[in-house]
Amino acid sequence: MTRSERKNLRNGLAFLSPWLAGFMLFTLLPIALSLYYSLCDYSLLQRPTYIGAANYRMLMGDEVFWKSLSNTFQYALLAIPSGLAVSLGLALLLNAKIRMQSVYRTIIFLPSLVPIVASSMLWLWMFNGRLGLINVLLAKVGIHGPAWLSDVMFSIGSGASESRFHWAMPALAFMSLWGVGYTVTIYIAGLQDVPRELYEAAEIDGAGLWRRIRHVTLPILSPVIFFNLIMAIIGTLQVFATPYIMTGGGPARATYFLTMYLYDCAFQFLRMGYASSMAWTQLIIILALTGLAFWSSKRWVHYQGR
Amino acid sequence: MNVVRAVVIAALLLAACVVMFYGSRPLPSAPASFVKVQYWEKWTGPEAEQMRQIVDDFNSTVGRDKRIYVEFLSISGIAQKVLTSTAAGVPPDVAGLWGDNVVQYAAMDALEPLDELAAAHGITRDYYKPIYWNACRYDGRLWALVSTPWAILLHYNKEIFEHRAADLRAAGLDPQRPPRTIEELDRYAQVLTTYQTLDGRRRIICSGHQPMEPGWYIDHIVPWFGGRYFDPSSGELTINSDEAVRAFDWIAGYARRDGVGAVSEFRSGLGGFGSTQNPFLIGRLAMMQQGPWMANFIENLAPEMNRWNVPAEQLRREKDFSQLRTGMSHDEVIRLLGEPSSQQAGDTLVWDAGIRVIRVHFGRDNRVAATEMPLLPAMQRRKFCKWAAAPFPSAVPRLDNVAFCGFDSLVIPRGARHKKEAFEFIAFVNRRDVVEKLCSMHCKNSPLAAVSREFIERHPNPYIQVFEDAAASPNAFSSPQIPVWSEISAELTVAAQKCYLLEQSPTDALQFAADRAQAKWDYFREVQRLRNRNASAEPMRQ
Repeated sequence: MTRSERKNLRNGLAFLSPWLAGFMLFTLLPIALSLYYSLCDYSLLQRPTYIGAANYRMLMGDEVFWKSLSNTFQYALLAIPSGLAVSLGLALLLNAKIRMQSVYRTIIFLPSLVPIVASSMLWLWMFNGRLGLINVLLAKVGIHGPAWLSDVMFSIGSGASESRFHWAMPALAFMSLWGVGYTVTIYIAGLQDVPRELYEAAEIDGAGLWRRIRHVTLPILSPVIFFNLIMAIIGTLQVFATPYIMTGGGPARATYFLTMYLYDCAFQFLRMGYASSMAWTQLIIILALTGLAFWSSKRWVHYQGR
Repeated sequence: MNVVRAVVIAALLLAACVVMFYGSRPLPSAPASFVKVQYWEKWTGPEAEQMRQIVDDFNSTVGRDKRIYVEFLSISGIAQKVLTSTAAGVPPDVAGLWGDNVVQYAAMDALEPLDELAAAHGITRDYYKPIYWNACRYDGRLWALVSTPWAILLHYNKEIFEHRAADLRAAGLDPQRPPRTIEELDRYAQVLTTYQTLDGRRRIICSGHQPMEPGWYIDHIVPWFGGRYFDPSSGELTINSDEAVRAFDWIAGYARRDGVGAVSEFRSGLGGFGSTQNPFLIGRLAMMQQGPWMANFIENLAPEMNRWNVPAEQLRREKDFSQLRTGMSHDEVIRLLGEPSSQQAGDTLVWDAGIRVIRVHFGRDNRVAATEMPLLPAMQRRKFCKWAAAPFPSAVPRLDNVAFCGFDSLVIPRGARHKKEAFEFIAFVNRRDVVEKLCSMHCKNSPLAAVSREFIERHPNPYIQVFEDAAASPNAFSSPQIPVWSEISAELTVAAQKCYLLEQSPTDALQFAADRAQAKWDYFREVQRLRNRNASAEPMRQ
């Protein structure tokens, strides 16, 4: 390294140091400490007491943990595909050369700017069983809508082994579509990169609209879809604020998600060690699913120029 | 372009000037020689402003004399913020925690004991109602004092009772009084519930009672059935006792009667508690459990419920009071308010104004010198109330006046820098005159054993005496004093939901809750035992 390179490095680090210090102090250190606390009984108010893997063992036998994890996966299974499909569909529509294109794009993006608390309150009224807009519209076509946030949708089995599925879960997944504006924007940016000559070639070959989308748009857009998929996995597995405000986890823990249980353990029950073990388990699950997505991406993600 | 730039710069300068002259100001700071006591309180909005008045009272009286200055900070999420600041070693000197936090925090050594400080200020067991005093204690020590307390009672809509009087009488029930037993409550509820059939589906239009509406105290339902969740003498939980099963079966009974779908649909169509669409305020729920603050909500959101059958002229007079000005002539006042109903000593004229009385004092020049519009005494106001409060009925014969009593607390977190001065403020808040001022403003009952006649008569809740009696009753109860109560409460709430949705039988739902509660309780005790052993071993090592 030359003298000038050393000087540049020193200057670079000096400029970076506020961020580096902040990152290490307020992000890296807490992450490292949370790993240690996950091996302790720790209430925040008393000294952590090392208990080995007891928190993780308890977690494995905790029915509420499994229930909240199962709810989180159900939500992810509903919200991720619908979110990706709807946002892609909207992006394709908004990419068309039409009048007032920017106005439509703004309208689609606007809900993403509404604070979560405000949009949750709004949707509480939309889902209102008697007066809500959704049920009023359904009534106009002769459908008697359910009490969206409390009614049972269907049940499987009977007696003690009966499992009930509530409307609240698809309702929350449906509501998540309210915030597709960011994803749509990313898709639109991706669509700008699709070379026009490919569409022209496909058209000359006699491909219709669907085949052009299927064989041109989607393969070229696949890295963007992949990016949105990863972000959606991370986002949906950490869903918290909306169900916390709208359902509080109910009815009877039907919408009690992993992050909500984690929050309750940490700040309501003062079991910070247990909550830390939950957070690390959640991280491992997210990493595993992200890894799975990366592994599968070899088969369906196509990068231009490779 | 230059014009645009000039306009933008001018607008920015204008905004800066507005912020500078009218923007937020720093809090008034304490004189240099005063001890500064930091007080964090959970209340926001009007309740915080009312507490701020108490703080100002302290700073201008006791604080000024003893050279203590209390800095009041209203913050949301108080429990988490006190928790983290205490863990970090920089807690406030006084914190206004929820009552249920006290035992949890005390067990984790996060609070300073107050026994000696309280005794030095003459605050002893006799000064308080037993239920609140005991709730502030844990493991033989005093950890908190009360800022405002409450008792939970049955609130019922007298107008609905009156409208359905014939049906109630036909069912052998008295429309002039509330139910006195759970069995009676169910019968009243059944008669008062009205339905409508729409598209072949039965809808509830008005419900007599719904245990889960609002359901805030559903985890505390068992004592009304003669049971308890915790036996303090043995230290054992009794979550799934026979009484608890009976209580939870009572909850399920309402869903069985009306159908889960109908109840769900009814509840999902109701407005929020703090809104004008509150089902009790719009006459869609005839009976419910609530605290004394309900009177404030009624006055703010549905004032007509406090002015039932008040003559229109008196209502108009109450509104016209705001137009009275000092210096107005006698004739102007008569034109505004009409003929007075009486004349008091001196030159004071009196008008009836519904639940209030208007007094206008005239000076020697026969012009208005002063005006006031105090509330009528509580008993006189009750006849104008469309609603009433009574003890929530019990399922056990001769088990009267059972009431859940909760409270907001004042504590000194561990590590607070000015404990003695902090307690001066807590003691001030516990002075009877201050307690009564604060509890009147917050529309709550008093935690103290003795209350003044004035407090009862002029309290915004005309039924405050009923709350006082309930809180003083030997059958009053509070949250079980176990540090893991918040976890157990969560389990019980879910168990109640499962019963209400008929997802599980009360026995199964309570068994699940009991197993989880027992595991948490056992774990807590085991960890505390290990900690105590380690703590006692440490000095030996030294």
